[in-house]
Amino acid sequence: MSSALQWINRAGAWGVKYGKVLFASRFLPVIGTLATLVIMLIFGQIRYSGRMGYSFVSLPVLTALLQNNAYLIVLAIGMTFVILSGGIDLSVGAVVALTTVVIARLLPVGVPLGITLIIAVLVGTAMGLLIGVMVQSFGIQPFIASLAVLFLARGLSNVIGVDENGVVRSLAIVHEGFAKLASWSIKFGEGRAIWRINASVLIAIAVLIIAYLVLHHTRFGRTVYGIGQGDNGMAAGLMGLNPERSKIAIYMISGTCAGIAGVLFALFMQTGFCQHGIGMELDAIAAVVIGGTLLAGGSGFVLGSAAGVLVYGLIFVFIPREGLDATWSRIFMGVILLLFVLLQRAITVRGEKRSAGHGAKKPQLASKKASIDEGHRDNRTEVNDE
Amino acid sequence: MVGIPGHTPPHLPHPFDLEGVLSAVDQTTEIVTVTGASISFPGVRALDGVDFRLFPGEIHSLMGENGAGKSTLIKALTGVYQLDSGTVEIAGEQVRFTSPVQAQAAGISTVYQELNLISNLTVAENVMLGHEPKRGPLIRTRAMREAATEHLERLHLRIDPASMLGSHMIGVQQLCAIARATAVQAKVLILDEPTSSLDKTEVDALFSVMRDLKAQGVAIIFISHFLDQVYEIADRITVLRNGKLVGEWETTQLPKFQLISHMVGKTADELAAIAGEAAAGERVTQDAEPLAQAIGLGRRGMIEPFDLDTYPGEIVGLAGLLGSGRTEVARLLYGLERPDHGTLTVRGRQVRRFAPRHSLRRQVAYSTEDRKVEGVVGDLTVRENILLALQARRGPFKPIGKKEADELVNKFMTSLDITPANPDLPIKNLSGGNQQKVLLARWLAISPALLLLDEPLRGIDVGTKAEIQRIIADLARQGMSVVFISSELEEVLRISHRIAIMRDRRKIGEEVNSQTLTSSKIFETIASSQELR
Repeated sequence: MSSALQWINRAGAWGVKYGKVLFASRFLPVIGTLATLVIMLIFGQIRYSGRMGYSFVSLPVLTALLQNNAYLIVLAIGMTFVILSGGIDLSVGAVVALTTVVIARLLPVGVPLGITLIIAVLVGTAMGLLIGVMVQSFGIQPFIASLAVLFLARGLSNVIGVDENGVVRSLAIVHEGFAKLASWSIKFGEGRAIWRINASVLIAIAVLIIAYLVLHHTRFGRTVYGIGQGDNGMAAGLMGLNPERSKIAIYMISGTCAGIAGVLFALFMQTGFCQHGIGMELDAIAAVVIGGTLLAGGSGFVLGSAAGVLVYGLIFVFIPREGLDATWSRIFMGVILLLFVLLQRAITVRGEKRSAGHGAKKPQLASKKASIDEGHRDNRTEVNDE
Repeated sequence: MVGIPGHTPPHLPHPFDLEGVLSAVDQTTEIVTVTGASISFPGVRALDGVDFRLFPGEIHSLMGENGAGKSTLIKALTGVYQLDSGTVEIAGEQVRFTSPVQAQAAGISTVYQELNLISNLTVAENVMLGHEPKRGPLIRTRAMREAATEHLERLHLRIDPASMLGSHMIGVQQLCAIARATAVQAKVLILDEPTSSLDKTEVDALFSVMRDLKAQGVAIIFISHFLDQVYEIADRITVLRNGKLVGEWETTQLPKFQLISHMVGKTADELAAIAGEAAAGERVTQDAEPLAQAIGLGRRGMIEPFDLDTYPGEIVGLAGLLGSGRTEVARLLYGLERPDHGTLTVRGRQVRRFAPRHSLRRQVAYSTEDRKVEGVVGDLTVRENILLALQARRGPFKPIGKKEADELVNKFMTSLDITPANPDLPIKNLSGGNQQKVLLARWLAISPALLLLDEPLRGIDVGTKAEIQRIIADLARQGMSVVFISSELEEVLRISHRIAIMRDRRKIGEEVNSQTLTSSKIFETIASSQELR
């Protein structure tokens, strides 16, 4: 009784005093993403269900959605770490291609499956390490550093991804164990209601859980948010964290996720090809942004990114079903992305106004601008007047 | 008075001894010994052969003007900066920290002057970061919040530990930083300006925690610009000036006035002269036309309509608590925001256009309260910062000639005594007081008729304060009209000819400053109007 009362008390105080602020600034983007996801599912349910007992919102459809997008979920999770820290990683699409090519070349020469996959993932880790070192130790912009690694990975996959005649082409991965792994799944249900969970989905979910724990329940995870605050990790450093090493680790995580995503993509496509994953990094970034992570860093959740991937995946389900050309998917994707960025912007502006209204000693944007722009604006009128 | 410290342990009388808990603490062995510490930055010798010692169970105040090297010494102790020469010993062992992590591991816990917390993490995470309760490799969130709540409650701070740090006011964030520093079992606790945003009760709570820690044998370095606080809490005082050690004294044996004279490097007589000069300044003209006249000026949600006149040669002080509407008055007078009520007249002409560019042409200048954000442009040089407003008024096609610019810059650098006297240094390398002087120079360069100064003395040491006050008094004597805002009533009383009293975004009174007007009388006015409501 008393504990229940206490709980209500606490919840009440929480809601009144901070709930609004929390809701407004921290969780609202993710809530927006989840709401979008739910609305899309309801839309699908209303529009596509009904024929011969077919239901759109059903385990077969949803697990298929997960299976088709597992690699992107993993990629988006890695990207979330980077974007949370205020950085960006453009290399992941190319790293996916490199990974698939590495698998396609290693398996035929008799390297055991397990070792091949580990090597493939480690290739991604190495690429991430390279970016991290460039960013941290040489102070290179993440954009440029990861762009350089994009070219490197794409180039390497071109060099490695040749058949026995030295011709660059899509290499079919012909390997008994690999094929088994690709087709392995746990089956649930019967007949029409049959649904499966395959290895890719399990791996993606595992990565998601691990990423959540790392981000929210380890010191390293807190450091990621700390770096994203915008002071380049200075405060985190003064508080006794290690932002330098963490920054490198962040890019290694993104690289590793790209490596894992590469393995999943290879399982999905059954080929290794240097042209795989072109533009995939942008899909990942879009999913992260739709998932409610601020591109400026410091705010966001991996769960949001996973939801963002599902929103993205649903668009690609809807468009063909509506009888539209597949190219429309991209346009819709762009529209949704834009809406979410606008939503984030609105929240940020509201947050600033709120804290200014609170009397918290935060710079008021308008007046700050006024004093900085003062010079320019003044110049203009002065010239006009004379 | 002890000069440069030898190696004699501190002697009685120690307020601490009276409490009779000394026996547990070995107070005679230094916990921190700094010998000959030197650090140079480009253009500045921040620390020059400084010796410093700290004993367990004492509160030691590090005093000096802005730029004296206090913060640098602290950062050298905590591994943020590395010493160019000299040594640091912790408990007799020589150490060389290369990062704050190492200093923390060695038992040195620090609250830095600039708030160095992570605003996008929760309060609990900030307080407990680095020493969270864990299960295996994972942080236990609930236990962490409970522990954080405990530490916060010692400072009488009851806030939701799960709320975001950034959603709280600066004062609360400062308390969080202090809670964080006291959460670890530190041997040495460093508090660099921990009280700058705290109110009286919060300061009292902090002091009681500090006394507890002292009784447990923790050595505390306490840096503050508030002399009263230093005298209330500190056992000993070390004074730095221009990066050099001046001396170390027992607090009880160092009268305030002497402390100030050590800090600013002037004799007591010279200081008295400055103070007298600032206070002197009779109002020049009595019955002239008002320079600026606000009649029923107000803006909804910002400030209720008020009347205020300013005359040439007069300093009008705005007294009131933080958030009482002082800044809002200045912003309306400046024309930064459009009033929705009443009229503002400058030199007999009603003001219709509200924007800084028009204000500049009206020769009204506003020096902002928030020096760091709205004032200085950190990456530009001192020279550029001084010339900014003048150039802005002139327009981009009429550059200030090099000779004229040099003359102006030199004039202000000498007349305001800006140090280091190098106009080509980026302003961010200057101390707070000198940055403030540069800002003053910026507005003086446009030779304003009305100068609005919002907290021009905040975070500035006594010597510079007196100097800036004297400059302001001089300006008024030369016929400038000045509006002076400060949280410190004594400052307002010392310098103003007339004082407008503010409360709750309302002007509640106006008094001519005479001998009979005291700070308690103003406080009474503020308090009594509270009862009326």
